Amino acid sequence: MSTPPVTHSGTNPVTGNQNINVMQKINPRILLAIILIPMGLIIAMVPEDTTGSRKVSTEQILQEISSGSQFVSPDEVAGMIVENNPVLQLIDVRSSNEFENFSLPGAVNIPLTDILSAEWRDILDQDVRINVFYSNGSVHANEAWLLTRQQGYRNNYVLQGGLNYWMEAIVNPDPPSNLSPDEEFARYDFRRAVNSALGGETVERTVEAPPPPPMPSIRPRERATVVQGGC
Amino acid sequence: MGPLIVYDAISSNTNLLLAFFIGIGFGFVLEQSGFSSSRKLAGMFYGYDTTVLKVFFTAAIVAMTGLLFFSLFGWMNLDVVYVNPTYLTSAIAGGVIMGAGFILGGFCPGTSFCAAAIGKIDAFVFIGGLFIGIFIFTEGYPLWEGFHNAGFMGSPRVNEMIGLSQGVFAFLLILAAFGMFWAGEWAERKFAGNYR
Repeated sequence: MSTPPVTHSGTNPVTGNQNINVMQKINPRILLAIILIPMGLIIAMVPEDTTGSRKVSTEQILQEISSGSQFVSPDEVAGMIVENNPVLQLIDVRSSNEFENFSLPGAVNIPLTDILSAEWRDILDQDVRINVFYSNGSVHANEAWLLTRQQGYRNNYVLQGGLNYWMEAIVNPDPPSNLSPDEEFARYDFRRAVNSALGGETVERTVEAPPPPPMPSIRPRERATVVQGGC
Repeated sequence: MGPLIVYDAISSNTNLLLAFFIGIGFGFVLEQSGFSSSRKLAGMFYGYDTTVLKVFFTAAIVAMTGLLFFSLFGWMNLDVVYVNPTYLTSAIAGGVIMGAGFILGGFCPGTSFCAAAIGKIDAFVFIGGLFIGIFIFTEGYPLWEGFHNAGFMGSPRVNEMIGLSQGVFAFLLILAAFGMFWAGEWAERKFAGNYR
């Protein structure tokens, strides 16, 4: 396929300048062909796996694991849910039964066993949204993160402590003691606000009837800190 | 390991600065290749001048070969290189509009700025039209939002869609490019007298 062009115009456009050296005499297209076609041949013969260096090195993953940078705290996630932050994409890696019984708002269900299926690749391998994996604890979500990270996917995170800790921290937070610092009260207030915003009143009423009265005096200050934190 | 910005080898500000210099270099090469002349650009459609085809396809195959070799040497992770997502319907419609504008106006958007930089008045008029188009598109966006987002295909690569390895596809594309260069030069000779 490459030979006809070579013979065809090698004779043609250079006829005027016979005195100049050989490099200039060669038609630039032929020069380009001489360089690029063999390079293309090499690339065509190299096995695909070597060419596609998609995987992240194990050292790098180890470093990420030891720094715990894949974890997102329930408070951060809850804040994003309440803000309706479009960047957040919750991914439930539990089985579809468990997902149907209970799931966080806006979550999609990608069971851990399906995590490598091509069907979900567009969701997992993208650079627009923040994917947060969650499971009951954090083991399965962490496994999902590890598998996707090995594929070189970015922007995937793990909900710290999973749904168990979520229930404990967001749905059912322990009221802070009276001696706690202001931040504790702020966090508690924030969590309760999130919980009611997520439609968790039933849980709140049954379990948390007592907490509101004990600390009316601190309320105004709490609100101020809450607003600061929220913004 | 590249891409530099993805792996935090450079900050996003450095990235913009590099883009600025590369942009100036790009404009300079465009101008020096004669792309500021709408006569030369329009020649592509009439067959008497196929510089556009040759310059852009040369750029494409050189960059492609370079990237594949960088990937082969482990210098560049192609999987994190941004690939523009495909919206099939708007890609086709946009191609038709852009092509018609190219024939009518004698410029494509990049070359119009290139020509404006050396003071071509027709380029300024073209850019005026370009901004009117942008204004109409953005102000009327709700009207064609559905159309604009139709046919979303993610970020497919042609070689994956036709089931070839990227290396083989690259090689075939190089051969196809040289085939087109040959056809282009044949056309230049054939139509040379008609339009100059």
